[in-house]
Amino acid sequence: MHSEPLNDRNVSEQSAYYYVDIEEYPTTGWDKFKQVVKRTFRGELFVGLWVVMREMIKFDIHTVQYPKEKLPIGPRYRAVHKLLRLWESGYERCIGCGLCEKICISDCIRMDTKIDENSRKEVTEYSINLGRCIFCGYCAEVCPELAIVHGQRYENGSEQRAHFVIKDDMLTPLDFLTSGQQAEYPGFGSITPNESVTKTPLAY
Amino acid sequence: MNEITITIDGKQVQTQEGEYILNAARANGIFIPAICYLTRCSPTLACRICLVEADGKQVYACNAKAKEGMDINTSTTTIEAEKRAIMEVYDVNHPLECGVCDQSGECELQNYTLEIGVDKQTYSIADTHKPAQDWGLIHYDPALCIMCERCITVCKDMIGDAALSTVARGGENIEAAFKESMPKDAYAMWNKLNKSLIAPNAGDTLDCTNCGECTAVCPVGALVSSDYQYTSNAWEHTQIPATCAHCSAGCQISYDIKHTDIANPDAKIYRVKNEWNYVSLCGAGRYGYDFENRNVTKDTAAFDAAIVAFKGADTIRFTSTITNEEAMILQRLKEKFGYRLINDEARVFKNFLGHYSGITGESLYRGSLKEVHESDFVVSIGTALKTDNPNARFAMNNALSMNKGAGLYFHPINDPVIEDMSKNVTQINYAPLREETALYLMLDLFGDKSAMPSSVTDYLSTFHSLKTVTIEETVDEKVTETVTKKVLNEETGLEEEVSEQVTKTVKKKVSKEVEVDSNRLLDLLNAPANFTETLTKYLAKKEKFSLMVGPDLYTHPHAANCARLVGLIEKYTAFDVTMIPNLANTLGVALICDLDESAGSNTIGYNTAGNFTLSALGGGDLDMPALNQQEGTLTSIDKRVNPTNVALAFGGYVLNDIASALGLEASLTVDYTSQLPVNAGFKAVEFDTLPNHYTNAGEEIRGYVLESQRVEVSGDESVQAFDENSALQGNVVYLANPVLQFTSFTAVSHQLHEEGGLYASTAFMSANDLNAGDSVRVETSHGEMVLPLVNDSKINGDITYLPTFDSKINSSALFGGYRFTTVSIQKV
Amino acid sequence: MDMAFIIETIVKIVVILLVFSALAGLGTYFERKVLAFMQRRLGPMHVGPFGLLQVAADGIKLFTKEDIIPQNVVKPIFKIAPVITAATAFMAAAAIPFWPQFTVFGYTVHPIVADVNIGILYVLGMMAIGLYGPLLGGMASANKFSLISAARSAAVFISYEVVSGLSLLAPLMMVGSLSLIDINNYQAGGIGNWIVWSQPVAFILFWIAAFAETGRTPFHLIANDHEIIDGFGTEYSGMRWGLFFIGEYANMFFISFVIAIIFLGGFGDGSIAGAFQLLLKVSFFFFFFLWTRAAWPDVRPDQLMWLCWKVLMPIAVINVVITGFVMMF
Repeated sequence: MHSEPLNDRNVSEQSAYYYVDIEEYPTTGWDKFKQVVKRTFRGELFVGLWVVMREMIKFDIHTVQYPKEKLPIGPRYRAVHKLLRLWESGYERCIGCGLCEKICISDCIRMDTKIDENSRKEVTEYSINLGRCIFCGYCAEVCPELAIVHGQRYENGSEQRAHFVIKDDMLTPLDFLTSGQQAEYPGFGSITPNESVTKTPLAY
Repeated sequence: MNEITITIDGKQVQTQEGEYILNAARANGIFIPAICYLTRCSPTLACRICLVEADGKQVYACNAKAKEGMDINTSTTTIEAEKRAIMEVYDVNHPLECGVCDQSGECELQNYTLEIGVDKQTYSIADTHKPAQDWGLIHYDPALCIMCERCITVCKDMIGDAALSTVARGGENIEAAFKESMPKDAYAMWNKLNKSLIAPNAGDTLDCTNCGECTAVCPVGALVSSDYQYTSNAWEHTQIPATCAHCSAGCQISYDIKHTDIANPDAKIYRVKNEWNYVSLCGAGRYGYDFENRNVTKDTAAFDAAIVAFKGADTIRFTSTITNEEAMILQRLKEKFGYRLINDEARVFKNFLGHYSGITGESLYRGSLKEVHESDFVVSIGTALKTDNPNARFAMNNALSMNKGAGLYFHPINDPVIEDMSKNVTQINYAPLREETALYLMLDLFGDKSAMPSSVTDYLSTFHSLKTVTIEETVDEKVTETVTKKVLNEETGLEEEVSEQVTKTVKKKVSKEVEVDSNRLLDLLNAPANFTETLTKYLAKKEKFSLMVGPDLYTHPHAANCARLVGLIEKYTAFDVTMIPNLANTLGVALICDLDESAGSNTIGYNTAGNFTLSALGGGDLDMPALNQQEGTLTSIDKRVNPTNVALAFGGYVLNDIASALGLEASLTVDYTSQLPVNAGFKAVEFDTLPNHYTNAGEEIRGYVLESQRVEVSGDESVQAFDENSALQGNVVYLANPVLQFTSFTAVSHQLHEEGGLYASTAFMSANDLNAGDSVRVETSHGEMVLPLVNDSKINGDITYLPTFDSKINSSALFGGYRFTTVSIQKV
Repeated sequence: MDMAFIIETIVKIVVILLVFSALAGLGTYFERKVLAFMQRRLGPMHVGPFGLLQVAADGIKLFTKEDIIPQNVVKPIFKIAPVITAATAFMAAAAIPFWPQFTVFGYTVHPIVADVNIGILYVLGMMAIGLYGPLLGGMASANKFSLISAARSAAVFISYEVVSGLSLLAPLMMVGSLSLIDINNYQAGGIGNWIVWSQPVAFILFWIAAFAETGRTPFHLIANDHEIIDGFGTEYSGMRWGLFFIGEYANMFFISFVIAIIFLGGFGDGSIAGAFQLLLKVSFFFFFFLWTRAAWPDVRPDQLMWLCWKVLMPIAVINVVITGFVMMF
């Protein structure tokens, strides 16, 4: 398969679109009869029968019996979001910069921020409207603090979708953090080595 | 000023001779980066990023003036290198906290860093710890400050507080190696930046009128509103273009709204923004934005009661904090049902304007604040400028500082804020009721005596007399002396004494008796002793004269005479007169409504007390929308009809609903915009067609300007003499508001919430052994009340004042119309 | 008629009804399993071991589901149509010998309800009446897809009646009897006597026609899900729909019996071996129904008609003529 005709999106007779090689349809009754005979005796029907019979005999079953067995999902899988904490201090990583809110193409993220008693920006509320979320991963990609990431939890059956996206539900519980169960996310937004980044000089 | 043509980057550009290159470029849509420059202020030359090449020479576009045929190139290799280095320097040690910084998204450092394309840092210096400071309404984080000094510039050149200045920064010096390796201007800029920091003149706290303009002009997040801090990001706001509803300046603002929180999708105003290059706000406009009438629903019972009340009433009493359209509705109701319309402050203004027109033949005054900005000699009579109309004060200060101007401030209360504007401003603190004297003085000093009516000139001449005074003069005198010097004889190598005749010029003081003209008007006004000389100095090379007059004249017992005098000043002097209307829409109400003098027995009160009260403040019999919940137009001091829009939804009934129920047909309040009276200068244009913005050239494209109408004049230009003995003596109280307050609407906003009292200067309090918080009995001939005493550090002298913003204090009941009255103040 | 005969007949009817109703259910289980295996799936696995009780679960579901009669249907006809399908299918079974006769406790049982001498004609006739189920159901449903389905089923059934009738004519000419017992006995001599050897063309034609008459893939156009939803069954729910289903599966079994008996020697000489051979043959044909469903695509209605009238019917006529000539000379 050569890709040039596909890359050329300038549609014309010569470009990406061409006619597949289809035989002329028979027009006369005799020709049609000949076609039926030809097709019949070529044994195509039996090929079909053989193929399915072969598979049945091989009994190479691919079914995953889902609730009992689960396929491992990719590490970059984008399921329900999580808010992570800093490893050392246990503080929330989210600084309330609002970039996720801004980049969200389905406009489903909202947060409330205020200045806290330590003069830091505190995120008091954070919510994702899963009714609108398309799990595109932009929020995780744009997050400068690796604070919002996608989790691996894809089983979203619940009475209300909101049950997954209250800030307290998304945030890693402290006991999880201390027991080392918070997983860094290797998907969108994770740090990728980039050779073009140079170190800023520091005078100290 | 001549129209000239210059070339910028190959584009022919028309501009005025002497215009800065930067402004010429901006007006013609050519981008030249500039961080420290503010359009209406003097160039600071702090950032140096506006470098351009003019006729082959590198100049700063913000302070190089355009000359005919100039060829300007905004981009050369050296300029690009300088810009790049400047932006890198600005990024040195700048905290990477864009994520939480309030300025993020509208930060000029972000913008220019991206525009110039800084992707790598070359420079470095050890940072110092600079803790953030809380200055009340304003929060300063020196770590974020890039020392563009815009805040200092705007505070000095525009606002007039000059409350900020630079202090030593401390910390290390720039590595010597950079001096060689860096582009020249970038190094110079860094050198300057590295030496200073912003600090309030008053030490740790900010002593100013809290306009917050410094936070508006700050290009980074260094100066921010304390209240807004960390609540929102700039890009989340919907900006509602509006007109400030607090005073008659009618400043263009935008209400920045966003949902209240994640649980409440209703809009909330988070802050007010302004186009700081073209309009400056006072603190009331900037911080007093949440005066909306909250949680109002359609209360049918109250509405029905209102209709019944309207059917039974004979009088509608209202304030001028309403839109032109509402005023039009009230006027239509009057025409249809014969209500008496009562609005005293608008009525006195309307009368004043009428008497003034009787002399000038124009229905409106000629001046505007824009004219004041451009003039070089500004006089203010009969207004507490900084609180009656802060923008008028900004305009005067701007004129004084930018046009090498001078000014006179006629007012009974000495104002330190006026004093601090410039050394070329003189305050004349006359006794109350001497306003006419001040106006006569204006005619005397500036009037065209040959053209003026002879009765006036004759009257004025009665105040002049010749007086013999002894003055000291300095005279140059030549003195010839014989001095003996020791001179080294070169031949002998010995010192010899040589006598020599030396002639010197020495200055000598001589006392001289001269006859001078003595002006008794000056004495009556308590003018400073050397006023005549000062004035002569002030008037040197002055071309454009502006006079601002204020509510003291409108409420004056001889207001009609004052108005005619002002008319004469307009007619026979070089001054353009600007009148300061009391409230946000006093001018509009005065032009639209026929106002009555006496009220009937059954009153509807709109935003004021009545038998049935409609109130936008809440607590009345029927809730009305506040001005940030209404669309409509407001008439400003600049005679401009400015549109304002709905920032917050209002769930209840509006005046138009009542009018419709009473039989006036209009589906929307703004349907009345096109029906505003054309014979008063309004135009028949639809509300939706009114623009509300400024162009890059600074042109104000907002609403439309009222057209002054020709008025028949009788030709009688006689004015009455003033009563020399009428001045109020003893303890006097004034009816005015403190800084940041105008009406109850400013007082309800959460940042400006304040309890009123009797305001007194520090000097008055110490002289009478009073302290702030003391309860005092305030007694005038019209009544008495007990109030707490409040200290106002922004006034001097013995005159106290009572505010109108606190609805709990019915202060105007103590006054007989005129803004001053004698008072006795006793501690209780 | 004596009482014993009546009782015996009633017992036979009840047994056939119960067995084949159950088989229809089991048939669905096998169909699902076979299709799944052919598609590398597991099929039903959850209810019971290997999903065996899925049939029971489906049965409970069908029985307990609300019986919805839509507002605009012709109610009596709509209600009776599924009964026609199921009833005619089982009525056709009356003339089919499912098993050679055997003796229990000294009592000789003939595993056929009625050994009438026009057996095969009766079977074909009953199956032809089965047309009324889809036809009336589809027409009464007040649903355009059902109506299309009804029209298609009428066309297909009537057309393929011709093919199945003409193709059977040749073997019947050879046997000389319409009784299925006689046809079976005609081939009792062993595998060499099977009619399929002397009438291969008739065998193929009848087999093809059997697909059309049962409405199975590749001739599933009566209720082709991707075009006309469930065809005549679209508006049916619960057990009414279940009756259509039972009818279809019962028909598949009965037609498998008919093919096995007429062309492949039936139960042969009546021995136990022959009896089990019959079951094996029937099983193969049933399995073949499922197999084709996994392997073959559907044909279009016009292709089906074309095939019937222009190909199969002429061949069947020629086959009859040739058989006649062979028998004459």
